[in-house]
Order: sequence, then C-alpha cells, then structure tokens
Amino acid sequence: MANMKQENVARVIDFLEQNKNRDGEVSLTDVMHLAEVMSGSMHDFLTAVQPAVTEELTLIGKEISRMKDEISQLRANDMTGNKIPDAGRELDAIVEATEDATNTIMEAAEEIMGADTSDAEAYQELVSNKMISIFEACTFQDITGQRISKVVTTLNYIDERVSSFIEHLRIPEELDAAIEESEEDRRKRELILHGPQHTGEGVSQDDIDALLTDVQADIDKLFD
Amino acid sequence: MALDLQMPVLVVDDYKTMIRIIRNLLKQLGFEDIDDAADGTEALEKMKQRRYGLVISDWNMEPMTGYELLKQVRSDSGLSKTPFIMVTAESKTENVIAAKKAGVNNYIVKPFNAQTLKGKIEAVFSD
Repeated sequence: MANMKQENVARVIDFLEQNKNRDGEVSLTDVMHLAEVMSGSMHDFLTAVQPAVTEELTLIGKEISRMKDEISQLRANDMTGNKIPDAGRELDAIVEATEDATNTIMEAAEEIMGADTSDAEAYQELVSNKMISIFEACTFQDITGQRISKVVTTLNYIDERVSSFIEHLRIPEELDAAIEESEEDRRKRELILHGPQHTGEGVSQDDIDALLTDVQADIDKLFD
Repeated sequence: MALDLQMPVLVVDDYKTMIRIIRNLLKQLGFEDIDDAADGTEALEKMKQRRYGLVISDWNMEPMTGYELLKQVRSDSGLSKTPFIMVTAESKTENVIAAKKAGVNNYIVKPFNAQTLKGKIEAVFSD
C-alpha cells in the first residue's frame, strides 16, 4: 500500500465522504463504484509487483512440472502393479522349486538308506533309479538361477529409477526421515535375530568353537 | 554324563526339511528315539511331558525362538540340566556369546555336516 499514489487515496476518501450519510442504504451500483475506485487506487501497486510475482509463479510452475516429470519417470504404478509383484511370484516359485527338489532328493536318499541289501541285483537297480531321480531333481538349479536373474533385474530397475529420482530432486541424505523401530525390528534386536551371514561375514564353526572355550573361561573366572 | 543312543532326542526347527535332515543324520549316528517340535513353545510343552536326553534347536523361530527356549529351559528346575545344542544360521559373535551365557552346551552353525553334529554331541556328553 506504500506505493499507492496520493491522488488515488484522495479519490477513495472523497468517495467515502460523499457516502458517509447513507444510513446503510447501499445499492449494487455503489458497491461497483467503490470497487472501481479501490482497484484504480491499487493499479500502481499491482503494476509494480506484478513482474516479480509472475516470475516467482512461473518458477514454481516449472518446478512442479519438473517434479511431475520425475515422478512419471519413476513409473511407480508399473513398479507396484507389475515389477514388485512379479518379483515376489518369482521368489515364491524359487522357494517351491527348492523345496520340491530337496524333498525328492531326501526321499531318494531315505529309500536307499532303508533298502534291503540282501538282493544285490535289486538293490543296484534301486540305487541306479534313485540316483537318476536325484540328478533330475538337481535341474531346479538352472531354473531357479534364471528366476533369480529376473528378480535381480527388477531390483536394478527399481534402484536406477529411485536413484535418478533422488538425484534430480536433489534430496540430501540428511533429509531422510528417521526410521521408527517397528515391533518386528524390536523383536529382532531383543532376540538377536540377524539371519544367515554372507561368506566371510559371520564366524566360522572353528571360530565358534574357540569362542565357546574363551567365553567358558571368562565365565569360569567369575566363580574363581 | 554318558552318551546313550537309546535316549529320546528332541529336534526343534520351524523348517520341516531341516528336521528331516537332522533326524536322518541322528539315525545314521545310531539314535532311534527322535521327536520334533516346530518352535520353542511346542518344544517346551513336549519337554514338560517327557524327559529328553538331548535338545537340538534352531535359533530363529516364531513365536518362541530357540534362544528364548534355552533361557526357559535353564530357568526351569525340572529341565535345567537337559543338554542343549543350538544349530543355527545365526553366526554373529554376539549370538554365540549370548547362547553360551544362557547356558548352551554347544553351538553348530548352518550349513553343517554329519561329522560336526556327531563331534558336538560327543563333546556335550564327554564334558
């Protein structure tokens, strides 16, 4: 309002002076007239600020457009609707295939272990047949290998898009929201559940044997 | 405590295939009386019904883990002396130390072989 010129302020004051004794009888024409006077008085101010506001709005519009583009590049619907469920189905199939193969191999081994060895010829035939069953069951490795490759491809696809999204949106690591410990996480922490370790990450059986001896020695010291 | 192949052995694992593997290995080692449970809760119930000569338990199970089962067994005066071997994929040092402090008799990391199982069982009964 600081930019409003004196002549415009005077016009508003004149209008209000002329109409101060109307006792609430105000017509639509009066309202329109006041609006015209007011908008005229604001003209200079709006003319001054308009370029800056327009520039800001244009920048915001461009940023929103860029974010929309980045979000569309994520292909989130494809991920949640197709890629991730497909990967889940592949993993389920892997579990099923390995379980079937394990059962087939174990059944064959159990039959060989429990077979009657008194008839050498019959025993040899049984062993040969069961060995073939074991070889056949081992073909699961080829199929599960291919299924795992598909899951890895999906994980790489998600990784590429999410990484690109983070990079384009310039999201720094320190802005990552803090993760609240879930009930499952709490259980894992309290019950020391880490799951299987990768080669070289956990301790070996030899390390464990040595550790048990050391721990026992430390415990024994407490009672000395 | 002498190793008695006639004693009942309780195998605790939530993975049926692993129970089957351990059961077969124990049979190969000469054990005949082998029972199983799918988690710590079921194992504890069975242990209260029957006196087992040895418990071989996995760690990671729902709802009661092998670690919780071990602590329950050691805190129960009627069960506390039962030999307990942990057979698990949990191979972090803190797991081994926690199990030892809770009173485990031996600890086998998966995957394992028959020789390791045999050696650890013999070690428990030679102590």
